[in-house]
Amino acid sequence: MKSFEYFKVKTVAEAISRLRDNPDGSHILNGGTDLIIRMKENHLHPDRVIDIRGIEGFSDINFSEKEGLFIGACVTLGEMAHHKSVVEHYSLLADAAEMVGSGQIRNAATMTGNLCNASPLADTATPALVLNAVVIVEGLTGEKEIPVNEFFKGVRRTSLEKTDVVKGIRIPYEANLQGSFHKASRRKDVDLSTVCASGVKIGDEYRLALGAVAPTPIRLPQVEKFLRGKEINQNTIKQALDLIDEEISPIDDVRSTKEFRTHLAKVLVQRCLEQMV
Amino acid sequence: MKITFTLNMDVIEHEVEPNITLLKMLREDFDLTGAKEGCGGGECGACTILLNGKPVVSCLMLAVQADGQEIITIEGLARGEVLDELQKTFISTGALQCGYCTPGMIMTAKGLLAENPDPTREEIKTALSGNLCRCTGYKRIIEAVESAAKSNG
Amino acid sequence: MKYVGKSIVRVDGVKKVTGDLKFVDDIKLPKMLYAGVKRSPHAHAKILKINTILAERHPGVRAVVTGKDFPKRAGLYLADKTFFAVDKVRFAGEAVAAVAADTVEIAKEAAELIEVEYEVLKSIHNAKEAMKKDAPIIHPALGDYKVVPIFKTIPGTNISEHFKLRKGNVEAAFEKAYKIFEKDFYVPHIQHTPIENHVAIAQFDREKNLTVWASCQSPYAVRAALSDAFDVPLHKLRVISPAVGGGFGAKAGTTLEGIIIPLAMKVGNRPIKLTYSREDEFVSSYVRQALHSKFKTAVDKNGKLLAVQNEFIWDGGAFTEYGVNIAKSAGFAAVGPYDVENIHCDSYAVYTNNPVGGPYRGFGMAEIHFGIEQNMDHIAREMGMDPIELRKINAQKPGGTTATGAKVDAACGLEECLDSVVNEIDYHTPSEQPADPNKVRAKGVACGMKAPSMPNNAGSSAVIRLNEDGSAFLSVSAQDLGQGSDTALTQIAAEGLQIPVEKITIKTGDTDHTPYEWQTVASRITYSTGNAIVKACDDIKSQLVNLASQKLDVLEEELILDDEHVVWEKDPSKRVPIKSLALGLQLADGSGIHGPIIGRGTFVPEGVLNFDSETGLSEKPVVFWTYGAYGVEIEVDKQTGNIKVLKATTCFDVGKAINPELVKAQCEGAVVQGLGSAIFEEIIMKDGKFRNPNFTDYKIPTSGDMPEMTIKIAENPQYDGPYGARGMAEPAMIPAAPSIVNAFYNATGIAMNRLPLTPERVVNALREHNK
Repeated sequence: MKSFEYFKVKTVAEAISRLRDNPDGSHILNGGTDLIIRMKENHLHPDRVIDIRGIEGFSDINFSEKEGLFIGACVTLGEMAHHKSVVEHYSLLADAAEMVGSGQIRNAATMTGNLCNASPLADTATPALVLNAVVIVEGLTGEKEIPVNEFFKGVRRTSLEKTDVVKGIRIPYEANLQGSFHKASRRKDVDLSTVCASGVKIGDEYRLALGAVAPTPIRLPQVEKFLRGKEINQNTIKQALDLIDEEISPIDDVRSTKEFRTHLAKVLVQRCLEQMV
Repeated sequence: MKITFTLNMDVIEHEVEPNITLLKMLREDFDLTGAKEGCGGGECGACTILLNGKPVVSCLMLAVQADGQEIITIEGLARGEVLDELQKTFISTGALQCGYCTPGMIMTAKGLLAENPDPTREEIKTALSGNLCRCTGYKRIIEAVESAAKSNG
Repeated sequence: MKYVGKSIVRVDGVKKVTGDLKFVDDIKLPKMLYAGVKRSPHAHAKILKINTILAERHPGVRAVVTGKDFPKRAGLYLADKTFFAVDKVRFAGEAVAAVAADTVEIAKEAAELIEVEYEVLKSIHNAKEAMKKDAPIIHPALGDYKVVPIFKTIPGTNISEHFKLRKGNVEAAFEKAYKIFEKDFYVPHIQHTPIENHVAIAQFDREKNLTVWASCQSPYAVRAALSDAFDVPLHKLRVISPAVGGGFGAKAGTTLEGIIIPLAMKVGNRPIKLTYSREDEFVSSYVRQALHSKFKTAVDKNGKLLAVQNEFIWDGGAFTEYGVNIAKSAGFAAVGPYDVENIHCDSYAVYTNNPVGGPYRGFGMAEIHFGIEQNMDHIAREMGMDPIELRKINAQKPGGTTATGAKVDAACGLEECLDSVVNEIDYHTPSEQPADPNKVRAKGVACGMKAPSMPNNAGSSAVIRLNEDGSAFLSVSAQDLGQGSDTALTQIAAEGLQIPVEKITIKTGDTDHTPYEWQTVASRITYSTGNAIVKACDDIKSQLVNLASQKLDVLEEELILDDEHVVWEKDPSKRVPIKSLALGLQLADGSGIHGPIIGRGTFVPEGVLNFDSETGLSEKPVVFWTYGAYGVEIEVDKQTGNIKVLKATTCFDVGKAINPELVKAQCEGAVVQGLGSAIFEEIIMKDGKFRNPNFTDYKIPTSGDMPEMTIKIAENPQYDGPYGARGMAEPAMIPAAPSIVNAFYNATGIAMNRLPLTPERVVNALREHNK
């Protein structure tokens, strides 16, 4: 690992000011499980690393029906996955969080980090997409909220400015939410998703998202539009699955061919839909 | 930079460069070589230690992140010649072979039992799935954790 | 027996659960330097020029070496490798140059500063292609290489070993066959992946004594190889292997030691350490060779195998110094555990520009059994027979013959093992199907066998020293890689000496201080070192009995060892504590006789004979065969292609289990390791370059993949084994993959002729099948 300056900041303002001093050479350190690998492998060599884990409120997680769920930027995936309100009201998010890496990784890594990495196969991204999560950001011009549906811009690219600090994620509460998370991987535990998927039904609205089938995790607008107001049965599932090819653009890599990813995308969407019956 | 942290119950003040991992600091500066580097990428769990009671991989943590935290390594489990219950059951069930993954495995199990003193077999399997062992086939490791849970209970 | 056959806890437990045990990477020496290696990015290329100036000038660098400094070829069976590439590189990842520097980081940076100009050559990555006439020749000087005479290189080709087995008359048998079956199989490259990566330290002293600390299975073999390669006499070369964090064959030979010794020669008396990263481990240590296998089998109408004609083509990679023996071992076991009168087998070790193949647990056997055992199920189906019945009809049985024409030993327990797993898995009762219609379950069975593949005269030795408090030191150079040899060997000594295990300390792994051991490989330690220990105990006993007979004034023949005493059988109250004789006997007049008691034992198997060079036949080619069987039940998710192994049962005939729980632990580990090779593991390459040199994309099983396991042991004693024991740790791996693949057929009706059964391969096969 190349040498760098390390700042353990106490406030958001201090973090922003450290970022502003050297926007291109700075990197925020949260759980570190992705950043440190990338620094060790020399893919990243920031001049300064800004550790945000000491900022007050960043480790908060709270829920109310009115405000929904707030997950502070530094809440670990392990803590989030076992949080009573998450398990009760957002079970698909808890399930997704439990599928990220190992227990040790989940004791350090965070959902905010998982989203900010903007990996196409981020496990917590698909639940965030279907739950219409909002990324709470503070930057040079003050606080802003970025819907997660507008957050991902490409492989490892987000809509964040270099001087932005993500404070946490808010997820609205839905009373009658039915949903599930599904993951296909080579090995049952501690593996990257070959494909992952989330689906929810809220009233007559269906929301579906897939990971690892495009440069970013994506929603499936055509499938959702087709399903809207329809009853889930063999026939509608089949028609919905036929629309998937048009919505995804998977690639070949060491984990899978694009053909197999397409197959898995359909299997997982089918599983999401079947659970809504 | 200077950090202050608790290491196996001792309060330590230490000077360390920011680009040193916690694993490297423990092994090189403190001769605590129980935590091993098996992959350097958080995939094998051989470097697992407890950070504030929770298992984490020390290869993916900067040493400076230990500032203000409490760290326990495998060397901090036994009290002199009196072994921790998990250490005893790992021996009595034969839950080790080459021994390279063993310290990390025990630390993960320690973290599990602290949080969930009476885990099911499936919970143990899931909790230990971040610790690779190439020798044992895991059966005796799981039995050792079950047996330690029973003795603790 | 008091100590043998008892499941005592491991003698190395405490130091392993506390982190006290120091592995090589845990050793810190004063003024230690660290090595960095420059590796080839190309699979096959001429080295035109190496410029080391920038590296040499880099602050903190103490030495730089390249291949031209050490062009001497070395190797265990075939001297085809150099530790650094000299004229050309033959695989991507081959070491080209190295530096020694003050820190690991500086060493890495400096290695990158070395500039190498290459002329890229046409490379070859498939062993079958490499055998073709127009293939590029990877070792043009093969004919000049030193080779152990039992191997047959074919200079001018890429074939570094051609083993031929010719038994009976295959053509005639095919002519009168009721049916003939032909099948091809492929097993890809995989890797051992011990959790401890390779690591070594080397240091010269002022008098040119070289000490090497290495995580190695075979300190004496490493010493011999390094002595030869670097012209250091044996008495000035000390190899210490303080602990081995898993081997499985990966640490059987020499790998990175040869990189640091040339550096150590240049830095005075400073020690140099090289620790492989996981990526180095994948790319630059051994891999298991890939195998293309082909079987043509003639069967009579009762299901008796009349003839087998087969071909094994091993992808040996860039160097086959060890790989030639794998090809040979596969050849002489050509038909697995079956008794076949007519055999025609060709087994070839072939150079390619792939990573270097080496010994991996059960070498040769796991790979050929993938085909052999699927074939048995296939033949049974086609004949309308029960696959268990077919196996029994053809099984090697006492009095029968092996592939090389040797008599099957009276202790062959193959049928007993097969019965055990069939019963345990309830093979003939179909699996209960899960509620989920996308999932299907089924059972599978496979048999296997292996012999230690080693030189006929592979020897072992043991020294036991008695202490005056009645305790003892047992010194051997068998290495405990985790398999539990420290414990089992201590038990054998305890039994022989009648001294409790707690009073015996075992010392291993130091060529200056522990006696000769050929290698810790081939599942031979319990047998071979065990026999040496039995002899050392006998030696001690004869000394003790001699002294005690003088002291007690009884006949030597009437004295036995029991409960830490020499005891007169006729009246056990007449006894002498062993401890009182440990330093000799003091006579009534005060004078002493004999002095301290030291026992020595050496062992070499008797009567193991060479193969006939033309036919490959031999009446006793190996010391023993270990037989066994697996039964598994699996569940296939037909939509995602994931396979879950639900249950596994094994039974191996170990002769005598010195420590039954340790035997079971070997089987459990083998089940899970074998499961990995069946459903996860494959080195994915493009033009010889690894695409998955990490645990992110090379998946080995976790605790979540562990099946429910039932392990049984058969004990038909080995006539010349210590207390009847024979080796079993490798054999336990062999039937794993074929049993899973057989279960897969029973679940889906699809035969998979290549490993591993990844989700994608499974889904594609199902799709093809359903067309």
